[in-house]
Amino acid sequence: MSKALIDAITDMREEDAVRTAKEMVDKGTSPMEVLESCREAMTIIGQRFEAGDCFVPELILAGEVLHQISDVVKPKLTQTAKQKKLGRVVIGTVEGDIHDIGKDIVTFMLDVNGFEVRDLGVDVPAAKFVEAVKEFQPQVVGLSGFLTLAYDPMKNTVQALKDAGLRDKVKVMIGGGQMDDQIRQYTRADAYGKDAMAAVALAKSWVGG
Amino acid sequence: MKIIGEKINGTRKRVAQAIAERDTVFIQDLACKQAEAGAAWLDVNAGTHPSREADDLVWLIENIQAVTETPLCLDSANPAALSVAIKAVNKTPMINSISGEPARLEGILPLAAEHGCPVIALAMDDKGIPKTMEDRMTVIRRVVAETRRQGLPDGNLYFDPLAMTISTDIQSANIAIGTMRAVRAEIPEAHLTCGLSNISFGLPARSHINRVFVTLAMQAGLDSAILDPLDQEMKAAIITTELVLGRDRHCLGYTRAFRAGVFGK
Repeated sequence: MSKALIDAITDMREEDAVRTAKEMVDKGTSPMEVLESCREAMTIIGQRFEAGDCFVPELILAGEVLHQISDVVKPKLTQTAKQKKLGRVVIGTVEGDIHDIGKDIVTFMLDVNGFEVRDLGVDVPAAKFVEAVKEFQPQVVGLSGFLTLAYDPMKNTVQALKDAGLRDKVKVMIGGGQMDDQIRQYTRADAYGKDAMAAVALAKSWVGG
Repeated sequence: MKIIGEKINGTRKRVAQAIAERDTVFIQDLACKQAEAGAAWLDVNAGTHPSREADDLVWLIENIQAVTETPLCLDSANPAALSVAIKAVNKTPMINSISGEPARLEGILPLAAEHGCPVIALAMDDKGIPKTMEDRMTVIRRVVAETRRQGLPDGNLYFDPLAMTISTDIQSANIAIGTMRAVRAEIPEAHLTCGLSNISFGLPARSHINRVFVTLAMQAGLDSAILDPLDQEMKAAIITTELVLGRDRHCLGYTRAFRAGVFGK
């Protein structure tokens, strides 16, 4: 792993990070090693965010840096060298709700922790969740909602998964605004999470990580 | 600058607990403190499931009205709950809120028009929150056409241009403030309002951001805001801005605030 690359990313030195990654690739460093350093950097950033030492805009910047480095590295990746993922997650903010920042942070953390995430965005109808689960075949579904009006759409989405014969194939976690076990039971989800770290812990426990 | 006191909101954990436990003392204390701090309206948001929301709103309204004369601002997206709640108020409330969403224009606006309520109108519709100032104005124009059609005077409107957080879009404040200027120019009798803390979500030292935002917004024409009336720093920023904008005759508001300790010892 490259300390220079890790430090450039965690220090939010965007140009240094991309340049260092390019230099590594040009010198013949394996793409996997570059991506490993990126993953290490993202883990550090995730920990700092949870500790309150770095903030939302920095997560976004880190995501953009990672994207730029991926563009440099991906052409060199061979089919067999693709990173192994812990599992797959479909996530979205439920119908009628457009709050997205918390969901985006969860997506970022899941991604950083080795999951393949399909983020359906906001105001997502139950049918769209069902379609995504059929196609993407995740082990985990995350339902996000901040408004009190979100509880019924969450419940409807879980029911729609059941009606489609998919409920047993996935674990469902909910998060967002006021969450407690009563709401969890009401929606028939498997668990609720208070924050992004809880989401990661739940997902890991369900894929056996 | 008129303050809508934000503290009685059931989406906050402690308030949710008080509502669930029917803790009259807690709610009445919050109401009195905000009223004494000069709130022009008290926002009342039950934050509970639609099946309980009407009951919770009525309980809140009755207990708040028992201890203060300050008008209420009924905060709900649920027309059914609002129509029950509005029967419990003892003076015309403000309604929070309508928007370009058909459900709100059809379900909530008629209520506001019927009772002659001031009403907060969000610059968004069922496609979400428009990214640009121009698109927000398009929604606002559509809303004002409808409010006029239903007989609501422009002066009853409090447009919220929607201040998104700067942490995900560095232009968020410029877009909101640009929208405020445009509303002032096009619909001169309408008021403006804004929830002031959203702008700084996800960043540290939030009070600094909030205070600078309110200052710039007031210059653009913001004449009311949803905030914590007990926040002394915010109060100091608002009073100082009114002074510097030339709206404080003989600087009396400022010197009075000074003597009342608003600027510290």
